[in-house]
Order: sequence, then C-alpha cells, then structure tokens
Amino acid sequence: MRIEEIRIDPRTKLIIVLCLSTLGIVFKDIISLVKILLTTIFISICFHVDLMGSIKKLKSLLYILIVITLAQSIFSSDGNPLVTIGKVTFLTTEGLYKGLEFIFRMMIIIFSATILTTSSSREIVQGFVQWGLPYEMAFMVAIGIRFLPILTEEIKDSLIAIQLRGIELDKIPIKKRIHVYSYLFTPIVLGTISKAERLSIAIEMRGFRAYDSRTSYMVLKMSILDYIIIFMSIVTTIIFYIVY
Amino acid sequence: MTKLIEVENLYFKYKGSKYNILDGVNFNLSRGEVVAIVGLSGSGKSTFLNIICGIIPYIYNGKIKGTVKIWGQKISSMRLSEISTKIGIVFQDPDTQLFSPTVEDEIAFGPENLMVDREEIGWRIKKILKVVGMEDYRYENTNNLSGGQKQLIAMASVLVMEPEILLFDEVFAQLDKEGKKRISQVLMNLKEEGKSMILVEHDYNNIKFADRIMELKDGKLQEFKGR
Amino acid sequence: MNLLEYIEFRNTSFEYIKDKKVINSISTKVYKDDITAIVGPNGSGKTTLGKLMTGILKPTFGKVYMFNKDIKYMTLGQVGKQVGYLFQNPEKQFFSCTVEEEIGFVLKIKGFDREYIDKKVEYLLELFQLDHLKEAFPLKLSQGEKQRLAIAAILANEPEYLILDEPTKGLDMDRKTTLVNILEKLNEKGIGITLISHDYNLVNQISNRVIEIYRGEIVEDRRNKD
Repeated sequence: MRIEEIRIDPRTKLIIVLCLSTLGIVFKDIISLVKILLTTIFISICFHVDLMGSIKKLKSLLYILIVITLAQSIFSSDGNPLVTIGKVTFLTTEGLYKGLEFIFRMMIIIFSATILTTSSSREIVQGFVQWGLPYEMAFMVAIGIRFLPILTEEIKDSLIAIQLRGIELDKIPIKKRIHVYSYLFTPIVLGTISKAERLSIAIEMRGFRAYDSRTSYMVLKMSILDYIIIFMSIVTTIIFYIVY
Repeated sequence: MTKLIEVENLYFKYKGSKYNILDGVNFNLSRGEVVAIVGLSGSGKSTFLNIICGIIPYIYNGKIKGTVKIWGQKISSMRLSEISTKIGIVFQDPDTQLFSPTVEDEIAFGPENLMVDREEIGWRIKKILKVVGMEDYRYENTNNLSGGQKQLIAMASVLVMEPEILLFDEVFAQLDKEGKKRISQVLMNLKEEGKSMILVEHDYNNIKFADRIMELKDGKLQEFKGR
Repeated sequence: MNLLEYIEFRNTSFEYIKDKKVINSISTKVYKDDITAIVGPNGSGKTTLGKLMTGILKPTFGKVYMFNKDIKYMTLGQVGKQVGYLFQNPEKQFFSCTVEEEIGFVLKIKGFDREYIDKKVEYLLELFQLDHLKEAFPLKLSQGEKQRLAIAAILANEPEYLILDEPTKGLDMDRKTTLVNILEKLNEKGIGITLISHDYNLVNQISNRVIEIYRGEIVEDRRNKD
C-alpha cells in the first residue's frame, strides 16, 4: 500500500496517530508493543515519512530514553537477577522487561507523530479549526512549534559568534568556561524575545483578531479514502483491544 | 481636502531615556500623498511610524504626549486591530514578518482576519503575487526564499489587505539592486493607484517619486532642504 | 606590491541541500593587504562564501585554506583570534548588557588588565561615535548603532583580517561615510578586509578588488585601483 499523489486530510492523520498512541499506551506486553511499533513504522513508510531523517533529528531524545530505560531497569528489584556484582543486583529480567516496554511505547508515540510532519502546520491548524477548536489556540500552538528551531538556531549562532571573537572554548579551564557560557544566556534569551516581539507585532498589524470570527482561505475536504482510512483505523484499534 | 493623518504636538520619550526622541512633531498626510521621511539613524523615524500605527503604545511602552488622528479619529481611542484595517506597515527585517508555511498561507492570513470572502482572497492573492512578481512561488515554503524574496512576500501580505495608508520602514535596506528596482516599481504603481504612503528611508535614490520629503532632526519634523 | 595570500579557495563547493550547489567549484586567492569586495545579487552565495572563509561552514567539496592551513582543522576560536567576522545580523553577536561591556568582555576573559581594557574601550567608543551610549543596552540600539558596536567589539580583539557581511546595512549616508573612513584607516594600518555587499557605491569607493559572484560562481574578478 503506497499512497502516492493522493492528499490525505490532516484530520485523518491525526486520527491514525491517536489510534496508534492509544494502543501504545493501553498495551503492556512486549509482543503486542512490538507489533504496534511495526505497524506504526509501516504506516509512516506508506506516508513517505523520512524515517531516517526523523531518527537523526531525535537522536538526543533517544539517548535520554535509553538512559531512563537503564535507570528504570536498575532500580527494579523484581524478577530473576541477570547482572549481579557482589551482592548488589543491577539488572533483573523484570527490569529489562519494563525498560523495553517503556522504550517501545515511546517509540510508538514518536514514530506515529512523525506522520503529522507530512502535512504543513497550516493544514494541521485548519484540521483542528474544522473540528471546532478556536483558531487562536491552534494558531498559537503552530507558531510555538515553528519557534523551536529558531531557538536552537539562536543557540548555535551564539556559540559560533562567541568563538569567532577569538575564544577557544576547548582551551579554557572548566571554571572559566562556565563563566563564558553565562555570556551566551543574554543573546539567546533576549534574541528570542525580541524576535518573538517583532513577530507578534507583524501578526497584530495584519489584523489578527480584528473580528470575532475570520474566513479561511484554506478549506479541508475529506475524500472517501479519508473516511475509509478513519473507519478502518478505529475498527482495527477496537478489534485489537478486544482480542487481547 | 481630507486629512488622513493629523499629528499635533507629538512628544515621545522611551522608558529610561533622558530626552524626548520626538520633541513636538506636527505632521499631515493628505489623500493620495506620498511623503518620505529622512534622518540619521536613531533620529526617531521608526518611532514615529510606530506611533502612527499604534505599535506604540499598544506593544512598546513609553511616555507619549500630543494627538494622532486617522480620518479625524484619535488613535488612542482605537483598538490595534481596528487600526490595522486602515493602515498597513512593512518593516525592515523580512524574517520576523513571515510566519506561515507557504507563501499562499502567508498572504491569505491578513484578509482572512479581515473576513474577506474566500473567493475574493483567492483573486487577491493572484493579483498581489503578480504585483510583486512572485507568481511562481505561490506554493513555496517561505523558509526557502532569499531575503529579498521574503521582503517582497512581506509587502504582498500587507498590500493584500488593501489598507488606505501604507507605511514603509526602510524596506529597501536588505534588498539588492534588482529587488530595489522591483519594489520601487511596485511603490510607484501604488502611488498611481492613489494610495497614501509614508516612507522612512535613508537612501535618497529610493524616494525620488515622493511628493514631499521631510527630515526628522533633533526630535522635530521639518521640510527637507536638500542634502 | 607584494601580495600575501591570506585565504585560498581550492575547487570549493558548498551545498545546504544535496545536489543544490550554492557555491560551485570556486578557486581563488584573497590577499592580505587588499580590500576585497564580494558582490552579487541576493541568493548568489555571498554570505555562504563569507561563512566558508571563516570556517563557520565547511565546504562540501574542495578546500579552504587560511594562511596555507586547511581551515577544516582549525577551531572557530583559532580562526577568531586572527579574523574578525561581522554577521549580517549584528544582534547575533551581542553578549553583554551594556555597550561598554560588549566591547571589553572578551579582553576580560582573555585576562588583560583593567587599565588596558578601559583605554581600548574608550578609544573604540570614540572612534565609532558611541560614547554617549556607553551604558545603553545593545539590543535597544538602532540598526546603525548596532552595526557600529559590532564592528567596534570585533576590533577590540585586534584581528589581522576582517570579514564584514553587509556592513552598511541600515546605515544612513553620513554613517556610511564614517564607516568608509574607518575601514580605510584600518586597511592602512595593515588590516586586510573582505567586504560582502551589494552596496555598489561603497564597493567602488574603497575596494581594490571586486569579485562578482552569480549563482555560486565567479563571473567577474577585477582590480579597481592600486
């Protein structure tokens, strides 16, 4: 099943994501979770999600997940010990089990969310609006998400700029380096705020909230395919739940 | 003759500043008039524009004295969104004026807020893209545009709201020769259409078509008497 | 005139997105004593070229050398000791709460004594007509003042070379003239300069070499005056 040129409604994608993450949260056994994860990956491939790209972008998040998993396994004392040093048990079957469960669950949620990246933020906002969410609220969230990369960009630029002032970060002793980093705080925070301010002025001056209501140039229309996909997703989710 | 904008004895001081950046400014704008305001950087040109369109005091703070009227109505009694239906402003930095994923969404944003008809919006987008010469970029992601192209889209997004008064805050500053030429052409066409405009500029080459040139100096606005 | 090679591009290409070359196999040498201008329309790759010169960006293909050293193996800190770089958006390079501190803080980190720093700061404040704004907050300055502050702060480091990305952006005529005078003075003192600009007046006024690029390639390379 490859969905080529057909445009799938963002609302359909939202429902798929909702179904998958619900399943990911409801199920506790590893085999079911693996099945759901594989389904998720399969669906994202159908939607032409750039999976490798997403994994690369989420690399640091994945590290955090692994650390949490390890911590979880170490502090769990149930089950048969797997790794023991002296009298202290470091890893038990139960701990490993719980850790894997956690990591699979998070991956289901993350990978399913990547399906949404195939729609533009405007489309997703419109999806929510046509479901009845106030436009302002959806718009704010979309702007917020758009701002995240600006923040990381800001941090990167500041690091480049301070080094180009002739400060060799790797040659400065740790204590002083923290002092240098404290200098980065000013441009990053203030730069972000000033950008946000100018952005909000531009938005305001373009008549945002001029009236209680607004027209929408973009109108989403579900096709029969959308209804079929939604129907199938919901039915499959329910069946999956009942069977297990 | 109707006065679109009337400014009387305007004083303004930024918070924490010791002196008035605007020190008794008087100014009038008639219908269809194009006025350019020149002055050194830091002389308060942008501040003046910000006051006319309500950014000061609605968003930026400071001590403001005197009156500013649009169509005889005091702007201190208007809501910012109300002002935005009458006055459009384009800023210098194109990056912080664009916030939508595609050019089309960006341009549609203003008229959507003003409850313009859907069909009409589509028609206007088409027209405005032609005006700024960006027809080929309608479905492009705004992040992928160059600085000059972004500025053209920022202008288009304001023009599409069809405000009667247009304010331009050094919009040429970040453009190359080609971009400047294009924007100049757009501005001249707008003048012919009878739009009233205030341009803040420091490059005299960009304001040749202005009816009047004023200079902001030492907090006062006066007729500009040659370089 | 004895020309000292400072930065060399050797078949340098750069792409942000695969197979979309912003810089397309450029080979040229930039000399230390010149004021070299890189001109071209928006999107021609000017800024990218400047970022390659400082090692902010690494070439996708080919090499960039600074003083015969492959820039790939230099840290930004090492480059920054020799070269001052002015960002197109000077706000990106402000780190302090006052104008005065902004000019002096790098010297402080480097451990210079107070007297030296104060003198240096005072000199630069005056040179760039910023003395009355000593206590001002850098981000609250006007565009032109920001530009001047950024250049002043870079000069505190005493770089031997300057790369300026659109230094006249947002400057009015008078301030442009002031800047031109300062740059000429610096060049006389032996500081080499690369100007990235689409301000043709400025370029013709002060540069001895003009490199014009279009779509990532050099289309013209001429010497103005010697």
